[in-house]
Amino acid sequence: MSTNNQITFVLNDELVNLNFSDQFGETPITTVLNYLRSRPGYAGSKEGCAEGDCGACTVVIGSLSDGQISYTAIDACLVFLPMLHGKQLLTVEHLGNSSHLHPVQSAMVETDGSQCGYCTPGFVMSLLALYKNYNNPSREVINDALTGNLCRCTGYRSIAEAAAISCANDGQDQFTARESDTAKLLASIDSSSIYIDTKKHVYFRPESLAETLDIKKEYPNILVINGATDIALRVTKLKEHLPEILDLGNVAELKEVKESEGAIHIGAGVVLEHMKTLVQDQFPALYDMLAVFGSKQIRELATLGGNIGSASPIGDIPPVLMAYNALIVLVGSDGERVIPMREFITGYRKTQQANDEIIKSVTLPLAEDNCKVQSYKISKRKDLDISTVSGGFSVTLGQDGQVTDVCLAYGGMADQIKRAAKTEAALIGKPWNRDSIEAATNLIDEDFKPISDARAEAEGRTVMARNLLMKFWSDTI
Amino acid sequence: MATEHESAKYHVTGEAIYVDDMQVSEQLLYGKVVYSPHAHARILSYDINKALTIDGVHAILTYKDIPGENQMGPVFHDEVVLAEDEVIFIGQAIFLIAAENKDIAEEAAKTIIIKYEVLPHVVTMEDAMKSGRLVQPQRKIENGNVDAARQEAANILNGELKTGAQEQWYLETQVALAHPGEGQELKVYSSTQHPSETQALIAEVLDIHKMEVEVEIRRMGGAFGGKETQANHTAIWASLLAVKTGKPVKICLGRDDDQIMTGKRHRFLMRYEAGFTDDGLITYMDVEQNADAGSSTDLSMAILERAMMHAENAYYVPNIRIIGNAWFTNLPSNTAFRGFGGPQGMVVIEEIIDRIARKLGKDARELRKLNFYGIDERNEAPYGQIVENTLLHTLYDQLLETSEYEKRREEINAFNAENEFIKRGMALSPVKFGISFTTSLLNQAGALAHIYKDGSVLINHGGTEMGQGLHTKIKDLAADELGLDPEQVKVNATSTAKVPNTSATAASAGADLNGMAVKNALDKLKRRIANSICDDFNKESTVQSKPEEIEFKGGKVFDSSNTDRSMDFAESIMKAYLNQVSLSATGYYKTPDIHFDREIGKGQPYYYYAYSMAVTEVEVDTLTGHYTNIRTDILHDVGNSLNTRVDIGQIEGGYIQGVGWCTTEECKWDKNGNLLNYSPDTYKIPNIQDIPKDFRINLLEGHPNGAKTIRRSKAVGEPPLMGALSCWLAIKDAVSAAGNHQIEPDFSLPATNEVILLSLDKIHRKLKSSE
Repeated sequence: MSTNNQITFVLNDELVNLNFSDQFGETPITTVLNYLRSRPGYAGSKEGCAEGDCGACTVVIGSLSDGQISYTAIDACLVFLPMLHGKQLLTVEHLGNSSHLHPVQSAMVETDGSQCGYCTPGFVMSLLALYKNYNNPSREVINDALTGNLCRCTGYRSIAEAAAISCANDGQDQFTARESDTAKLLASIDSSSIYIDTKKHVYFRPESLAETLDIKKEYPNILVINGATDIALRVTKLKEHLPEILDLGNVAELKEVKESEGAIHIGAGVVLEHMKTLVQDQFPALYDMLAVFGSKQIRELATLGGNIGSASPIGDIPPVLMAYNALIVLVGSDGERVIPMREFITGYRKTQQANDEIIKSVTLPLAEDNCKVQSYKISKRKDLDISTVSGGFSVTLGQDGQVTDVCLAYGGMADQIKRAAKTEAALIGKPWNRDSIEAATNLIDEDFKPISDARAEAEGRTVMARNLLMKFWSDTI
Repeated sequence: MATEHESAKYHVTGEAIYVDDMQVSEQLLYGKVVYSPHAHARILSYDINKALTIDGVHAILTYKDIPGENQMGPVFHDEVVLAEDEVIFIGQAIFLIAAENKDIAEEAAKTIIIKYEVLPHVVTMEDAMKSGRLVQPQRKIENGNVDAARQEAANILNGELKTGAQEQWYLETQVALAHPGEGQELKVYSSTQHPSETQALIAEVLDIHKMEVEVEIRRMGGAFGGKETQANHTAIWASLLAVKTGKPVKICLGRDDDQIMTGKRHRFLMRYEAGFTDDGLITYMDVEQNADAGSSTDLSMAILERAMMHAENAYYVPNIRIIGNAWFTNLPSNTAFRGFGGPQGMVVIEEIIDRIARKLGKDARELRKLNFYGIDERNEAPYGQIVENTLLHTLYDQLLETSEYEKRREEINAFNAENEFIKRGMALSPVKFGISFTTSLLNQAGALAHIYKDGSVLINHGGTEMGQGLHTKIKDLAADELGLDPEQVKVNATSTAKVPNTSATAASAGADLNGMAVKNALDKLKRRIANSICDDFNKESTVQSKPEEIEFKGGKVFDSSNTDRSMDFAESIMKAYLNQVSLSATGYYKTPDIHFDREIGKGQPYYYYAYSMAVTEVEVDTLTGHYTNIRTDILHDVGNSLNTRVDIGQIEGGYIQGVGWCTTEECKWDKNGNLLNYSPDTYKIPNIQDIPKDFRINLLEGHPNGAKTIRRSKAVGEPPLMGALSCWLAIKDAVSAAGNHQIEPDFSLPATNEVILLSLDKIHRKLKSSE
């Protein structure tokens, strides 16, 4: 792989080549937001938090696939510049100006969707993505599209109304008119691997698994990113330099989705928003969890592999994968190996993954008919929040109605995602009724000694954990 | 009127310029504040030499580099600009760095070495109250005879209630850009609600005259009180660096730094006792309000004063004693936040009524009505003001009907009887909010209006735009006064060079004060123009037009008793110019008839009251503690609205902001005084999923303000926030339903899902032990 030190993307309707060799210019870990705001005429996108929680920096990314451009809203503060390679970047400046407004902009004016106006460009860009993807969206779809944008002034009613009245034109606008030209520009960009080597940073964005594993071997301590919605905060908040990055975002094999008898295999590079649609019918508990995972802007970036690999004690997806008894497929220089999710995490942010391995995919087996699976997330705010306590639960009942198998995987209760072993043991062989549950909940205190932190006190967490078991029972009878 | 926000088109296109968006010369330096990691410590030594050698670092300042006073306390001078030998909270500024870019500034900050001796500190309310250290002397307001009433009371209840701190969470963090000019001149673009004070403090810190300092703000990206005094800090720091380096310097706090360094809505711990009759009529109330002032006074005493003056909210309490304490803690100084103590003051009596209702087995809304201020009697506020023109009864009657309260109460009871794990609750709560700064002299405003030769009009006034629509209202008002379309009028960026010695845009009084000042300026101009065109009309004519009969309407200026004598506005302006008439005028206004004596706690502090009433219904999942706001109805009194679209936006937004305070917004500190919720990762303001599924806002019609305000309108900024108490009470009502309303829920504010679940856990334990 040769050093190209350069990326190419389409800014609205113009090809932009960025060369990282210039030591005074951008670095490979410059965020898209900082890049935009450093350019004249691009102050519309705002920094409200630099961590993907407020959406004031929302921009829209156009991606070419089968000759069509799809539009997704993302948080520009979480995206490193090389991730833009081969994409179209649209900002609020490209929609219209105060004399000629885009339909989503004029709707925001009409409904009084802005007061102080600081969050407004971000909302407008989320609305643009909604406009391009939905016609006459339901309130549920509108809320989902705008969950990642915080407004402190309006109380949101007016903004939801702007969404409802504007998204009724089949997504037609100036971008539609130019779409074939834009597609040609995007197609002209060489989408193969990127290798950036400045004196301060190396940044790899390989296109194949083989290349990825070679890099991993050559740079055993390289920081692997797969969406980077978590890692980006080390740059924006902790001001770290991150000298070596391996970005899996362009590895084709990791995007693969396959179905086999009784199972679905989802590549580690699949973004969670896409995964949400993949699991909707067959894995409802996983769908429920994904529906309250971050925001749409986050889910368009964050990947399955990233969420599992970070092995956070408050990760949302691992408990549900444990409940479904999913399998993690690792790949390394010695080939593949398969580890049950229930055994994959070994400690605080520790897994069985070896240094030369990456997560390739996850195998989700369909639950048996007599197995019930549910997921729960308790967070201070229902949406776009991190779990205080979460649960991925499954129970299998024998023909006599007694529990033959149970998995109670909790997040937020220990230094890793952990099953309530004693509680589970107490339930085996018992009838699935309220008495059994009430007796079992008393063992939660023995299974976990949670911490007190910004989200809740230990006592609150314990009550939550007990309650979730009761909720699981009440939802499965 | 109902025009769109004057900046709406700029907001939605990203064309609106905020301080951080301004194009500045390449000389711009970035300022960085190095702050204390300790809640209380002595600075033993420090070394900035290595940091100074970093390429691109232009200056590092300590308190020794301050030319003037090392003080930035807005009312009381008890707050240093940069720490000297002691730090008293985490986030307190010690050094200022100016560097060519943010990365260099960060690198320099990491290189500075400071050695501390950690000292004992106070973080919790309980410790603060034990310490006995008040930031200013205790305050008291008393009416009637509480002790005698206690002796006679048929029933007495007492309790303690804690309310949490709330971060303003303006989307635009604190930011200032200071631009040095010739000599001592300095132009400062500051995201401030109070440009005159920002200017004054910069001048004092730099030891220069105020005339040298111009502070300008076009718009803020939200403020909510958080930029009333604490915007001064960033502006002062940027100014110090700009003067030292001779280059423009910008400081824009990152979100985490902003949350760590700046003050919040005051935490309160309140102890109360109340007596009531068997019917639920309150006979006395004895309240002790304890506020967490933080490490300096800031606006704490004014906030405490407003909390005390709203302790009775909408209810007549014949015998009342309110004690107010503002305690020192080793935290950033707490400061203004929409409501300004009002919410904390009101919540206690709302809690008392809620508890009385549970004790008596009544619906709390009946007791609220029973205890409302009377119209001709039972209408003296604890501080002696007569509560006139009460709209409480009007609002109550209308809202009870439009919200279908009775019918829904029955449905809720039926729902709760059938559902074990999901419970519904509902509450009605009123707001009576006093309008005026309680420091009476602050109720003054100025304006400067120019009319140019083409007939276009530029209005300057002392108020600042933070999203609340003040400039929209002023623009509409000015256009209407002159008979023009709003497009012919522009409201300028607020500048201390245009209108001096202004008060903060606060206390909901922005439009009341500045609207009147602008009208005063325009009245002068209209009189001059009328005189001028009458001179023209009357020239060589026997028919005499009188200036007082000249009207400004529909883009014309005409003699109302001789409408043939008419001309376009622009023509009248050109004629005035040719007649050598001044087309620029200042305006001024001060609120009449208000006064308050702090020593005795009596007076007439408010020009009038604004009223609101809300009914909120919620559904609580008693296993997760998550709640859903099913429906909210608000009936709100804005007198004659200056702009219904702006006002409805204020009401909706204020309510939701209040809901945040009541539910998900929680500030916690560890034992060392570190704020744990210092970013939106852990600090959760409401998002779109949290708003009522059914949200109905109505303006009360047909009730112009009884006080002679601008167009008989009423202030709207703060009052709606407190409607959110209905949400807090509704959640409590749903929790109470789990104990069949027989057990008083253990509750505090915010009612996070943790508070809800622990409260339910206690109820369940009590139910079990009584089985």
